[in-house]
Amino acid sequence: MPLLAKAKSLLRNLLFTRRVEEDLDREVRSHFQMLVDERIRAGMGRKEAERAARMELGGAEQVKEQVRQEQLGHWLHSVVSDCRFGLRQLGKNLGFTLTVVLTLALSVGANTAIFSLVNALLLKSLPYAHPERMGTIYTRIAGSSEASDKRHNVNGEQWELLRDNVPALISAVSGGGTSGVNLKAGSHVEYVHDGRVSAHYFDVLALEPVLGRNFLEDEDRPHGPKTVILSYNLWRNVFGADPGILGQAILLKSEPHTVVGVLPQGATTPLNADVYTPLEPDREGEGRGTNFRCIIRLRDGATWQEADAQVNRTWSSRVGRYELADNPGAKVSYHAVPLQKAETASLRPQVLALMVAAGFILVIACANLAGLTLVRMMRRTPEVATRLALGASGWQIQRQFWIENLLLALVGGALSVVVGFLALRELFLLLPEHFLPVASVPLDSRVMIFTLAVSVLTSVLFGMLPALATRRVDLRSSMANRRVAGVGSLRLRQALVAGEVALTVVLLAGSGLLIRTLIHLETLPPRCNPHGVMVAKASLDDVRYHDPATFRKLLDESTAGMRQIPGVENAAVGLSLPYEFTGNDWVTLSDGKEAGHQGGADWVYVTPGYFETLQMPLLAGRVFTDADGPNAQKVAVVNQAFARKFYGGTNPVGRYIDKDTLIVGEVADVPLSSGLDPVAPLQTEETMYIPAAQVDGPLLALLHVWLQPNWMVRTAGAVAGLTGEMQRALEKADPNLPASGFYTMGDLLARTLTTERMEVALLGAMAALALLLSAVGIFALVANMVAERTREIGIRMALGSSVGRVMVQIGRSGVAASLLGLVLGLFFSAGALRVMRSVIYGVGVYDITTSLFVVLTLFVITLLATLLPTLRIARIDPARTLREE
Amino acid sequence: MHSEPTNLLQGTLDLLILKSLATSEMHGLGISRRIQQITGGTFVVKPGSLFPALHRMEEEGWTSSFWGDSENHRRAKYYRLTKAGRKQLEAESRRWGRISWAIAQALETP
Repeated sequence: MPLLAKAKSLLRNLLFTRRVEEDLDREVRSHFQMLVDERIRAGMGRKEAERAARMELGGAEQVKEQVRQEQLGHWLHSVVSDCRFGLRQLGKNLGFTLTVVLTLALSVGANTAIFSLVNALLLKSLPYAHPERMGTIYTRIAGSSEASDKRHNVNGEQWELLRDNVPALISAVSGGGTSGVNLKAGSHVEYVHDGRVSAHYFDVLALEPVLGRNFLEDEDRPHGPKTVILSYNLWRNVFGADPGILGQAILLKSEPHTVVGVLPQGATTPLNADVYTPLEPDREGEGRGTNFRCIIRLRDGATWQEADAQVNRTWSSRVGRYELADNPGAKVSYHAVPLQKAETASLRPQVLALMVAAGFILVIACANLAGLTLVRMMRRTPEVATRLALGASGWQIQRQFWIENLLLALVGGALSVVVGFLALRELFLLLPEHFLPVASVPLDSRVMIFTLAVSVLTSVLFGMLPALATRRVDLRSSMANRRVAGVGSLRLRQALVAGEVALTVVLLAGSGLLIRTLIHLETLPPRCNPHGVMVAKASLDDVRYHDPATFRKLLDESTAGMRQIPGVENAAVGLSLPYEFTGNDWVTLSDGKEAGHQGGADWVYVTPGYFETLQMPLLAGRVFTDADGPNAQKVAVVNQAFARKFYGGTNPVGRYIDKDTLIVGEVADVPLSSGLDPVAPLQTEETMYIPAAQVDGPLLALLHVWLQPNWMVRTAGAVAGLTGEMQRALEKADPNLPASGFYTMGDLLARTLTTERMEVALLGAMAALALLLSAVGIFALVANMVAERTREIGIRMALGSSVGRVMVQIGRSGVAASLLGLVLGLFFSAGALRVMRSVIYGVGVYDITTSLFVVLTLFVITLLATLLPTLRIARIDPARTLREE
Repeated sequence: MHSEPTNLLQGTLDLLILKSLATSEMHGLGISRRIQQITGGTFVVKPGSLFPALHRMEEEGWTSSFWGDSENHRRAKYYRLTKAGRKQLEAESRRWGRISWAIAQALETP
C-alpha cells in the first residue's frame, strides 16, 4: 500500500507538475491568509498583521522550494530542468557547441574505428565452436643469439609425429596458402583458389559440411583417391547449388576429383579457398621442408599442459632438428598458443600502435576541450555569481556544468559512431580482399559501449579541469567586476596547448617516417622498366603439364601468339616477377676456391625474352636464347646480389654451380617480395634465373603447386583490348587454361605494399586530425586572448601602439605554447619512435628530413592559427572600447 | 538557510503531526497550533518545516488531503490520517516511549 501511494505521488509529481505546483501555491497562500486572519482576530491592524504573518511564514517561495525538495522525483525534475537550461545555454553559444561536438565526433570517431578493428581482430572469438580449445604450436628458441618464440611451419616428420604421438590433440595441417588451380565444369573453365588440407582440418575448425562429409584419412595419403570439398559460394555459382553434385567427378587440375562435401554458407577457414583438396602430407617432396601450417584442437578431457608435454616429447626425439641446425646449442621447446592470437600475431603490434595513436587523439581533444570549457566557465562567472546570490548551492552550479558537458558528450558520441562507420568503410575500400584474417569488422554492442564510455570519459576529463579551476568563485569581486581576467588560466591554457602540440608532433613524426618508408619502397630503383608491362597468371598445377615437353610447347606457342598482337613489343613467361615472392633453394658452388660452399638463393625459371621484356640491364655475359634447350648445356643467369654473396663481387660468368650448371650472365638486382630473410616487404635478394626449358618434370610438378607462372607482354603505349588478345593467345595454345586476371606491374607493386599503404593512410589520417585539433587549440587560445583583452588593446592603441605590435604581443602566447610543445614533442619522439623500428625501411628513426617536415608543418600551422584571430585586432576601435567601459 | 533536521527531530515532528491528526482532520495552521497547544508551547513549528513534512508524509501514504472550508470560510487544504498513518502513529509512539524511557534511565543513573 505505501509503495503504491509512493508510485502514485511520483507519477503525479512528474506528469502533473503544473497542478501540483498550483495546489502548493494555493495551500501556502491560504496558510498566509489564515495567519493574517488570526492576527486580525487578535486585534492587529491589517498592515501589521500581514507583516507579522509574512515573518512567521518566512517567505512563500522558500517554503515552496523546501516542499519541492522533499517531493518524490524532485531530483529527476531538477535534472530535466538543468538539461533544458543546458541546451538553451549551448544553443546560445553555437560556435562553442559546434566546435566541441565536431571535435568529439572526430576524435571519438577515430577511436571507434580503430577500436572496432581491435575488437574484430583481437577481442572477438574466432567464428568456430569452442574457439578457446583451438590453437597452433609455437617454437621457442632460447639460449641462442637468435632467441624467438613464434609460429613455425612444420615439415613432414613433425606432422607425422604430431598426428601419431599426441593423443591430447586433434591436429591438422594445410599448405602454406592457397594455390591457383584450373577448374573445368562442362565448357566453363575457371581459375580458382585451392586450399590443400589434411584429413581432420575441418574437424579442428569444427565445420560440418552442409552436404556430404569431410576428408577421410585414406583420402589424405599419397596417391590416395582424388577428392574435393567445395566452398558454398563455388557450389552455388558454378554448380547452381546442385545437391546431386556429391559423388560426381569434377575436373580440377585436368584430373577428375570426386566431390565428397560442400561447406556451409558463410563458413570461413584460415585459407578462405574456393575448393579444398587433400594435402596428402608425408616426409617426401614438400614434406622435406617446413611447408605445412598446423592447427590444433584440444580433445575433450585433455589439458593444454598434457598436449604441450606430448608435443615436446615427440618432437624432441626427432633425428633432423632443423631448429638446432640454424642455432647450434640453443634450447628449443614447443607450446600451444590460441589460434586467435597466432592468426593475428603479425597485425597485433600495428593495431595496438594505432590504438595508442587514437588514444593520443583523444588526449589532444580533451586538452582542447578543457581549454575551451575553461574559457567558457570564466565568461560565465557573472552568471554563476548571480545564481549563487539567488541561493543556488555550489553543488547545483557544478551539476549544471556537468550536465552540459554530458549533453555535449552524448551528441558528440552519437556523431562519432557515424564518423567511425564512414572511416571504416573508407578503410575497407583501401584493403584487398582477405587482407584481414576476419570476415568483417562490425560495429557491434562492444564497440557501441566502448564509444559511449569513451565519450563520457572524455567529457569527465575535459570538464574536470575547468570545474577545479573555477570552484572558488569570489562572489563579491565577480559581481563587481562583471568579468574575470583569467590571468591564472592563461598559463593553464598555454600548458594544455603545449601538451597537445607535443603529442601531435609525435604522431606527425611517426607518420612522417611511415610515409618516408613507403616512398622508399615505392621508388626502389626497379632496375627494370615496369611501365607498359601487362601480366597475367595461369595455373600449371595441372597433370598435363607435369611433362616438360608439353610445358615447353605451351610456353613457346603462347608467347609466340602474344608477340603477334599488334603493338606488343615482346612477350615472355617467368615463374615470378619483380615485386613478387618467388621460390628459393640451396645452391652449391662447384669450382674455384669457393667449391663446396653452400647458401640459399631465390630461384626463377624464365623463357628467353624475359630480361628483354622487363628491360632488365645485362651487366655481364649473355641472356638466354632458344638454344638453351632441354638437352643443351645447363645454364643460369644470376643477379648482382648473387655475385656479391657467393663470389665477393667478382664476375660470376663462366663459373659452375650445382655441379654442371654454367653461369652465363649477370643481371641487375630487382626488388622482390622477400622470401629468404624477410626484413622488409621489398628488397633485393640473391637470385638465380634458369631457362624454363631446362626444368625437369618432378620439379615442375612441385613448383606449380606453390607458384603460378606469369605471362607478360611489353607494349609501347596503351593497347586497346590487350587483355582480350592475351587471353585469346593463351586459349589458342590451350583452350582449357584460364588466366587469373590481368595486372600492370604498378598494380603488383601496390599489392605488395598494401600493409604499408594502410599504415600510412591510418596514421597519416590521425596525424592530420591531431594537427587540425592543435590548430583549433592554438586558434582558440589566441582568439580568446583577443576577446578578453579588447579593452587593454584599446588602451594600448590609444596610447600609440601600432596594430602590428599589438598583434605580435597577443599572438606571442600562442606561438610560445606551440614552440614549447614542439620542443617537448621532438624530445618525446626520440624515445617513442624507437618502437617503430620494425616497420620502417630505408630510413632511420632519427631522420632529419622527417624532423624538418614536422617542424615546418607545425610552424606553418602555428602561424596560421595565430595570425587569423589576431587579424581581429585591426578592427578594434580604441575609442569605442574605452567608451564601453 | 534551513539546516538538515536530525533523524530524531524529524521523527519527533512526524510523530507530533500524526498525533495531532489522530482526533480530527486539520489544515496546516491548525496542525501547527495544535502542536503548540499539546506540547505546552515547547514546539513551535514554522511553515518551512511543517509543509515539507506534510507533503512527505502524504507521499508516504500516512495522510491524505482534501480541500475544505475553514472555520473562517477560507478554502484550506485539510489533512487526515490514513490506515497506514494510524499504524505509523502506533509504531512511532511505541518507539518514542522506548527512547524516552531509555533516556530517562540514562539520566537517572548516578
